[in-house]
Amino acid sequence: MKELWWKQVRAVIHLEMNKTFFAKRGLWIYLLALAPVALFLAHTLIEIHSQGVRHQMSQKTSRPLTEQDFSSIHSGMTRDQVVKLLGEPPTSHMGARRVQTGPHSFDQNPFEIMRYSDGRSELIVSLEKGAVSGVSISSGTSLGEDTYIFAGVFQFFFLRLAIFFGCLGIFMNLFRGEMLDKSLHFYLLAPVRREVLLVGKYLAGWLAATVIFTTSVALQLIALLSLYDSNVIATYLYQNHGWSQVIAYLGVTILACIGYGSIFLAAGLLFRNPIVPAVLVLIWEAANPILPALLKKFSMIYYLRSLCPVEIPVDPGMPPLLALLISNTEPISAYIAVFGLLTVSVLILAGSMRRVCRLEINYTTE
Amino acid sequence: MSNQIVFDNVSKFYGDVLGVNRVILSIPPGITSLVGPNGSGKTTLMNLMTGLIRPSRGHIRIFDMTPDQPERLFRVVGYCSQFDALPKGLSGYQFVYSYLMLFGYDATTCDELTWRAIDLVGLREAAHRKAAAYSKGMRQRIRLAQSLAHNPRVLILDEPLNGLDPLVRAETIALFRSLAKQGCHVLLSSHVLHEVDIISDQVILMSGGYVIAEGNIQAVRSEIQDQPMQILIRCDRPSELASRVFREDHVVEVRVHNDRRGLLIKTSKPDRFYLLMNKIALDGIRIESVAPIDDDVNSVYEYLIGTEEVTR
Repeated sequence: MKELWWKQVRAVIHLEMNKTFFAKRGLWIYLLALAPVALFLAHTLIEIHSQGVRHQMSQKTSRPLTEQDFSSIHSGMTRDQVVKLLGEPPTSHMGARRVQTGPHSFDQNPFEIMRYSDGRSELIVSLEKGAVSGVSISSGTSLGEDTYIFAGVFQFFFLRLAIFFGCLGIFMNLFRGEMLDKSLHFYLLAPVRREVLLVGKYLAGWLAATVIFTTSVALQLIALLSLYDSNVIATYLYQNHGWSQVIAYLGVTILACIGYGSIFLAAGLLFRNPIVPAVLVLIWEAANPILPALLKKFSMIYYLRSLCPVEIPVDPGMPPLLALLISNTEPISAYIAVFGLLTVSVLILAGSMRRVCRLEINYTTE
Repeated sequence: MSNQIVFDNVSKFYGDVLGVNRVILSIPPGITSLVGPNGSGKTTLMNLMTGLIRPSRGHIRIFDMTPDQPERLFRVVGYCSQFDALPKGLSGYQFVYSYLMLFGYDATTCDELTWRAIDLVGLREAAHRKAAAYSKGMRQRIRLAQSLAHNPRVLILDEPLNGLDPLVRAETIALFRSLAKQGCHVLLSSHVLHEVDIISDQVILMSGGYVIAEGNIQAVRSEIQDQPMQILIRCDRPSELASRVFREDHVVEVRVHNDRRGLLIKTSKPDRFYLLMNKIALDGIRIESVAPIDDDVNSVYEYLIGTEEVTR
C-alpha cells in the first residue's frame, strides 16, 4: 500500500510541477524571487565601476598613496601643505559659492574639491579660501559590511515578503486555483486517498518554492561575492564561517518554504480570497515580538529569526518599534527552532488533511 | 458481494435548499437513465454516489464500498461529470494519461489504456492537440474517454450526449450498450427522452429532489393507474371492433385511426382489455397488432412530471 501511495504522490507531484513552474500567473513569483538578485547585481556593478574610477585616480598621483597619507590631512591645512604631502590631485573641481554679506550685498567664495585615491579608498578634501574646510575618506565596500547588508535584505525583504508572498501564490493555488478553474474534481475522482493527494500537492508546492527561492539565495550570494577577489572569498568561506552562513541561509529558505507553505495550503482550503489570509498572517508574523510567549510559538518568523546566521546590529538611535522588529530578544537554539517549525507545520498539515477529507465540490459557490 | 448500487434513505440539503430527499434506490447492472427537469436532483444524486458531495442523511453503497473510500471506489467507478472545464495546458492524450498515472500504473500500461480509451471515443487524430482548443463535443468525448479509460464496472455519465453530433451520438450509445452487455452499470442522465427510451434498461424519474418512479419503463407505466393506457389496434374491421369494445365500462375512449385501418383505445384496466381482445379475436375480427402507445419514457414522464424542460 505504501508503495502505491508513494507512486501516487509522485504522480501528483509530476502533474503539479508543470502547473507550478510554467504557469503564466506565477510569473510575479519569479520576479519577486529575483528582485534581491537584481539589487545585489546592481550593487556589484556600481561598486566595480567605482573601483575602476579609484584605480584610475591612484595611477595619476605622483607617488603611491596609503591610508596613512590620507589620515595626515586635517582641517585648517593650506592647499600647499596638502599638495606637499600628497602631490597634485589627480581630480579636482573648482568653483565659487555665492555668500550673502549684507541685506543687499553678496560675495563670491572660491572653493576647491580635491580627490585622491590609493586604489581602494578615496580621499575627498574640500578647500575654501585656500584652506582645508573638510576631509572625508570613503573606503569602498568590505565583505564584512556586505554580509550585514545581505542579512538585512534577507530578513526584511526576502524572508518576510518574497518567500511569504511567493508561498502564498504557490500554495494557495494548489486547491483554490483548481476550484476556480473547476478542475479539482478530476483529482477527487481518481483512486487516491485525499490525504495522499494533499501530501502530493504540498510536496509539489514545496519543491517548486524551494527551487525558486534557494536558487535566488544562491544567485544573490554569487552576485554579492563576485565583487571580491578569490582570496577574500576564500578567507570568508573557509575562515570566517562563510560556508556555514551560506548553508544556514539556504536552510532557512527551505524551512520558510515548509512553514509558510503549510500555512497557505491550509488557507487555500479555508479562504476564497487570498488577500484575507495574507493580511492576517502578515500581521500575526509582524506582531510576533509583542505576542505572549505561548502564542509566539505559533509563528514561523519566531523560529526562522533564530536560525538566521547573521544578527543585524541595532543602531542606538533607532525607533523602539523598529528596534524591536530587528533585534531577536529571545533567541532559541537551532535544534529547537527546526523542531518547533516542523512541528507547527505538521500540525497545520494535519488540520488541512481533516479539511480536505470533508471537502465537497460545489463550484457554483466559488 | 452485492452487485447493486444502493441508496438508503439518502437526503442532501445545501443549507436550506433541498438537493434530494429520502432517496431509496437499488440500481442493478445495465443502463439506467436518470430523467427529470433541471434542478430535479439528477446531478446531486451522481455527485453523492462519487463522494464529490456528502449526504446530509442516509448511506450510499456501491457494491461493498462507500463513496468516502476513493482509493477503492474509483478503481471500479468512472464518472464523466457535467463540469466542462479541463486542466490547463494538457493535450487530450496527456489529460487521460495523467489521470491513469494516479492509479499507480506503469508508463506502458498508462499509454496502452489511454490509446484504447481515445480510440473508443474516436479522438485519435486530435489526441495530441491542446484540450483547451477542443470543440464542446470533443471535450465531452475526451472526458468520456477519461472516465472509462480504467475499464470501470460502474460508469456514471452526466448528460453524456450533450454536444455530440448525430453520428458520434449513435456510436456513443452503441458503446454504452456494449458496456452494459458486459455486465457494467451504466448510469446516465439525459434530457433527450427518445434517446433514453432507446438506451435504457431501467429509468429513474426525478422531480423536485424526489424519486417519483423507478424501474423498467413498462412496469412504471402500468403502475400509473390514474392515466388510462392508450392502445393502438390494427384490424380489418375497425368500426365493428369500436362498437364491440365501447360496451366495456373500463374503455373510456375509442377513436378510429386516421387511416381507417385501426383503433385508438384508452382503457383504465389494460389487463381486462387484453382478455377481451382474446375473445374478439376468436369471434372472427382479424387483429393484425395490439400495441400500447404510451408506455414510453415520454408519456410516463408527461403523466408524472409534466413537459417542463424536456426535449422530445
